[in-house]
Amino acid sequence: MLSRSAQGVYWMARYLARAGYLSRLLELQVQFLVDRSVEEIHFGWKRIYQCMRRFPPPGEQFLPEADEFALADAFTLADDLTFERSNPDSVWSAIASGRENARQMRHCISGEMWTCLNAAWLRIRDLEAVDIWRTPEVFYARTRSEIHNFVGVADATMYRGAAWRFMRLGRAIERAQLAVSLLLAQIELSRQTERRTLGWASMLRTHHALEAYGRVHGIEMKPDRVLDLLVADPSLPGSVLATVQAAAAELEGLGGGPGVDADAAARRLAGRAEALILYDWPEASEPEELLERVSQSARDLHEAVLGAFVDYAIEDSPLR
Amino acid sequence: MDFSLYDFDPAIYDEMFVAEGEPREHCRAVVEALRKLPDDDLNTIQDRVTRSFSQEGITFTVYGDEEAEERIIPIDCVPRLLALAEWRELEAGLVQRIRTLNLFLADVYGDCRIVKDGAIPADVILGCPQYRLAMRGVSVPNDVWVTICGTDIVRTHEGFLVLEDNLRVPSGVSYMIANRKAVKAGLRLLYRRSRVQDVEQYGSLLRQTLCELSPGGRPDPCLALLTPGTYNSAFYEHMFLAHEIGAELVEGQDLLVNDGFVYMRTTSGLRRVDVIYRRVDDDFLDPLVFREDSLLGVPGLMNAFKRGNVALANAPGTGVADDKSVYAYVPDMVRYYLGEEPLLQNVETRLCRRPEDLEYTLDNLERLVVKRVGESGGYGMLVGPHSTPEERDEYAKTLRADPADFISQPTLALSRSPCLVDGHAEPRHVDLRPFVLTGNETRIVPGAFCRVALRRGSLVVNSSQGGGGKDLWVVDL
Repeated sequence: MLSRSAQGVYWMARYLARAGYLSRLLELQVQFLVDRSVEEIHFGWKRIYQCMRRFPPPGEQFLPEADEFALADAFTLADDLTFERSNPDSVWSAIASGRENARQMRHCISGEMWTCLNAAWLRIRDLEAVDIWRTPEVFYARTRSEIHNFVGVADATMYRGAAWRFMRLGRAIERAQLAVSLLLAQIELSRQTERRTLGWASMLRTHHALEAYGRVHGIEMKPDRVLDLLVADPSLPGSVLATVQAAAAELEGLGGGPGVDADAAARRLAGRAEALILYDWPEASEPEELLERVSQSARDLHEAVLGAFVDYAIEDSPLR
Repeated sequence: MDFSLYDFDPAIYDEMFVAEGEPREHCRAVVEALRKLPDDDLNTIQDRVTRSFSQEGITFTVYGDEEAEERIIPIDCVPRLLALAEWRELEAGLVQRIRTLNLFLADVYGDCRIVKDGAIPADVILGCPQYRLAMRGVSVPNDVWVTICGTDIVRTHEGFLVLEDNLRVPSGVSYMIANRKAVKAGLRLLYRRSRVQDVEQYGSLLRQTLCELSPGGRPDPCLALLTPGTYNSAFYEHMFLAHEIGAELVEGQDLLVNDGFVYMRTTSGLRRVDVIYRRVDDDFLDPLVFREDSLLGVPGLMNAFKRGNVALANAPGTGVADDKSVYAYVPDMVRYYLGEEPLLQNVETRLCRRPEDLEYTLDNLERLVVKRVGESGGYGMLVGPHSTPEERDEYAKTLRADPADFISQPTLALSRSPCLVDGHAEPRHVDLRPFVLTGNETRIVPGAFCRVALRRGSLVVNSSQGGGGKDLWVVDL
């Protein structure tokens, strides 16, 4: 497969996974606006911004000591995360970038995938926050569902070649990074509050894990159990372990790249992240520190994949 | 569909009607069926056709002052019909013409017999900016210089006329196929009854043709389609064709030349490329030979090509044969190379490089279409009857400054075909661009990208200038 095409498909999947994840976060957050306490709402916004490594739009400048999340209203924050064109990670931008990568790589994906994604894009292309604000949760749920639909259509129609592997690899790496990032934000923010359980239930809902938690641990909400489930349960599709294992499986399926060492290095990184969770997590006294290491491995894995299959030195490459 | 207000004009050839209210023989059944279709149905079909283009992202890119915009080519759902017998006649003319043009190219980059024999002046060829000195003495696989040609054909009461031979990187074939798909889905029963000739096999014919150029007959050659990139106005088509022919869609940055062979960077190493269907202009193909500031091309590509290690379709330098000055000589070329009378006629063309033609052109600006030799896409031209005296004065100054850069032609009454406008039928001017493929043999699918000037009275069919598309049905009725 052409390296640039692999890169395009990989990024397409990353952007769409980002758009889907953020839509889910916002879907729950705008639901909070209806019936949750101010503290909980602020907590939610902070967690999203921290996860996306972004600062909120500035509040009123003459109140420098004030909490910017209190000043900027929910509409402004949602707009910033959803439709802000200059925010490369907003839902709009991520779908635009995913769709643009798909447009350039249409010959690598199925026609059905393209039509499905293009229809989603045409729906949101000209929207503004004001257009969705009467029922924002409907918009986010639909956007998330369209991305799920895209993934399902890909599953049903895409040829299981290298493009398929790179697409799944991109999705797995993006989801691993986002999940770890959100968990780190949750751990840090919950330390700053007196309500120990604040935000943990919504962590489960974000990852569609509420039912699974109930089945495994019962109805009592215990943060360490939630953390365990979201990090180390291989049966939960959105857990960190499941996404890292998915990345490792795709790398295995891709087989050798042009240089023996480069793709082996990528596989080692994926294996290391998996081993950290499988063997070190159960006894970790500092979950944050271990999650930071997993996060670093996921970032390194991204670099290693591109280095092995896309930006490799041609001098070392065999001629075919 | 309501034809009662249809503005039939006997002075202009009508593709569907031979006289007021009287359809041509091969159009009779279709006109009857269209008449019976309720307006609502046709409007729905038209909406669906337009929407399908938008949903499938069948677009071309238009560059404005600030940013690029993806646009769809508006398509009219009423097909233009051509009888199979007419098509056969046209096809024979196209085959004759492409044989001639390939012989001409081999000659002008070889012995230049045609110049030595005085059939065409040397300065017409050597003065042509598309003449590539780098191609002198180069031989090409199977002597095929032009693998893909998109010939612009118009029709008047005199018959089919060639308006332009597009021999460099002709585009539009993807719209031929997309129009067919959309219109066929809308007019299912009518399509079935009309025994329309298929065009969907274009991709496999193109693949077969390109494979025949494989250097040294290498089996199962690796094909690549070289695109200038996603910002090119025809990018959709590049992507579509790459998919159709099973080629990798590559940009210059994906290719490199090593020891006279072309390779592409793949996820499993460098893979040799045998045939490149290039959609990049000559100027940008190889910065070592052509424009050195080109970022779109591949350094060393021409070296690999000259050594016969990679085939390029079309070969560099083919632009000399579709130059607007050289065009005027094509009928003479047919006689010169084949000893046959041309089956397809040119539009009468005056070369302003000749003093008498310049004088005639200046005296008759209000009646003529004047074109720049090096421009295409409807740019840089003056349509006399639609111009103001001020525009003509201005144009005359430019014309006098560099006469060799201009040709003039009479303003043709391009044929018209019914279009759906506000729920009823109105005539609009049309042309057609069939695509001619040449490998071991010449192949033409029975269809064309039919362009239509959607603005009432307009003669400009170019998509960049407000033109649209129509499906062309070659019917066996």
